[in-house]
Amino acid sequence: MKRKGSIWGLVFVLLLAILSGCGGKKTAGSGSESGEPAGGDAKKEPVELSFWYGWTGTEAAALEKLIRKWNDIRPDIRVKGLSQSDYQKQLTAITGGNPPDIASNFGQDVVPWGERGAMMPLDDYIKKDNVDLGDFVPAALSSSQSDGKTYALPIAMHVSMLFYNKELLEKAGLNGPPETMGQLKEYIAKLSVKEDGGKLQRLGLWPGVDAFTFSYAYGGSYYDAENKQVTPDNAGVKAAVEFGKGIWDQFGSKELDRFASGLGQYMSPQNPFFTGKYAMTIDGEWLPTFIKQYAPNLQYGIAPIPYDENNPSLKHPGNVTTSVFYIPKGVKHPDESWKFLKWLTEPEQMAEFTAAIGNLPTRTSLQQHEIYKDVPGFQEFLQYSSSPNLHSFPATSFSAEYMTEFTTQYNAILRGEVGVDEGLKRVKDKIQPLVK
Amino acid sequence: MIDSISGKTPSRKKGWTRREWRYFWLGLVFASPWIIGFLIFTVYPFFSSLYFSLTEYDLFNPPRWVGIDNYKAIMEDRSFYKSITNTLFMAFISVPITLFSSLLIAMLLNFKVRGINYYRTMFYLPAVIPGVASALLWTWMLNPDFGLVNMFLRWVGLPDPAWLLDPRFTKPSLVLMGLWGSGAGALIFLAALQGVPQTYYEAAQVDGANWWHRFWKITVPALSPIILFQLIMGLIGAFQIFTESYILAGGKAGSGSSLGGPGQSLLFYAVNLYQEAFIHLKMGYASALAWILFIIVMLITLLVLKTSKRWVYYGGE
Repeated sequence: MKRKGSIWGLVFVLLLAILSGCGGKKTAGSGSESGEPAGGDAKKEPVELSFWYGWTGTEAAALEKLIRKWNDIRPDIRVKGLSQSDYQKQLTAITGGNPPDIASNFGQDVVPWGERGAMMPLDDYIKKDNVDLGDFVPAALSSSQSDGKTYALPIAMHVSMLFYNKELLEKAGLNGPPETMGQLKEYIAKLSVKEDGGKLQRLGLWPGVDAFTFSYAYGGSYYDAENKQVTPDNAGVKAAVEFGKGIWDQFGSKELDRFASGLGQYMSPQNPFFTGKYAMTIDGEWLPTFIKQYAPNLQYGIAPIPYDENNPSLKHPGNVTTSVFYIPKGVKHPDESWKFLKWLTEPEQMAEFTAAIGNLPTRTSLQQHEIYKDVPGFQEFLQYSSSPNLHSFPATSFSAEYMTEFTTQYNAILRGEVGVDEGLKRVKDKIQPLVK
Repeated sequence: MIDSISGKTPSRKKGWTRREWRYFWLGLVFASPWIIGFLIFTVYPFFSSLYFSLTEYDLFNPPRWVGIDNYKAIMEDRSFYKSITNTLFMAFISVPITLFSSLLIAMLLNFKVRGINYYRTMFYLPAVIPGVASALLWTWMLNPDFGLVNMFLRWVGLPDPAWLLDPRFTKPSLVLMGLWGSGAGALIFLAALQGVPQTYYEAAQVDGANWWHRFWKITVPALSPIILFQLIMGLIGAFQIFTESYILAGGKAGSGSSLGGPGQSLLFYAVNLYQEAFIHLKMGYASALAWILFIIVMLITLLVLKTSKRWVYYGGE
């Protein structure tokens, strides 16, 4: 009987160790797959590149269209796309020494993976081919860079704005969207509706909303690069957490859980913002497209994220996240991979792809592009994406853990399991030792 | 293998004859596919994970020796304690409940009534459904507004909790899901039940024992080896619980959302380990977590086995 326990344990650690076992074969494994001679460009056989991307469905189809276009103009470098939204697979492929030649990922993974050596720095190529990095939105590019190295190029970016239901605001006698955080608080109080014995019927704004966005509204910052200090206890961050906590406590966990349980699916006509259960919401540039699809009659407006009234220089704040392309470490044809990656992020291709999937382009030169004319809500978002107060979560090797811990403690603070100061201190205590 | 099945191999005073040696080597050759597989895929990873647990290792760079730092850090990690608490809840609440319901179902399925085979199939069916599918199914069953569970609760006038959204109810939700799958355990109990000689019951009945006495004094002792087996397997399963949490706690990790569900109430040991290994890229730390888990499971199993001497009866003894 004792054996049962240990066999189970063995199986469990096996999982971990298979990966590590593969890690050792990195060098032996590469180049053995197709028997093609690596390097050397004067040959008749086209180089074949595998390209893993995380998009699926119609978004994947838009990318496949671009891949076909490339294969038509560059018969010497054949690209084969594969929709592969499980990013852990990329990890195992890279450590196994048999990575895809180009892959997509989320911006926040870039520096953690890049600094550990899973992604190839692109700087030499960028310099050689004179790619103008100045054309990229700084907040979008910064999430791919660390210590003077660029590990990936962002193809698309996301930023949130404030959406408001015009009818509900009018009914509550409110004129236009809130501009400052103070006004936002008043709006939330006025727009939330309780009925029979305090049962919530409508919320002004879901209080558990994204603390990252509001941190920038208060001028907060998560990392002090100069002093190598993580700063979850920074005044701006703390103000954002307290803001969320303030709204949360107006209603209480019990009532909010009950209310949340009755809310419909996000991607459906029952989306709480579409049905008027939320009078306002903070959401990304894709939402207008969903509204057109699921709730075409909704009267809504798009407004900048409110800012701290005591500090007008913080107008138009926002939290930027990106989708990127990168070249994994250990690829067989890095030059060809780069050629394809560079081509994909050129203005023409970027415009075509981002317009098709309703994401924002990361190049400022595209913000006036007419291809976005017909994408609902895009004029507001394109304009917003050039705001100087946009930030992305500081790119460090520990940002994944930092964001996890921050989110965990933020939720614990909202639910009253821990005080604001103590919660933020816990984040600091856990993350600071990871700074190197 | 040898010791637990047939007792022991006969021992001899003299050494082996040539012929016996020959058979020994031949036997080894025939068993070599398994032996080699065992060495490569079990023994090697087992020890390398022990080594990695003493290093800082991120998959990409060579492991760096840090001694017992990982273990020290784990002892100070709040998520570790949270995950242990959550996991122990499942082990000590869910496992006994499921065990009891399996036994109950098995006893019901042991009645000789018409169509019993259909009932048996019905109760076993949930065990055939893959974990992911059943977890997704239950998100609908437990939907606070339209879910069947709450519809029933409202109908009988009981409070209808927000099951998977309320941190206080997420684990009970999993217990409920576990109950649904107790047919698998029931099948094993059923097989054992049918092996209990009817003569015991008849004799007891003649002596005037009521149903409770018959259950407690005959059925339970007769099934005790099976109960022990199911208890241990159940405990091990509880420590491994992952799928349900990963599916129900929703959302992929990354982009700042953490695994573990509302208020980390579904952050089980394996979920925490996965998060450290594959999202935070801390393979050394995760290996240390795996070893601690191994030790915990072994201790609990030993404890159960030790106490089992007092309540498990083997027919042959």
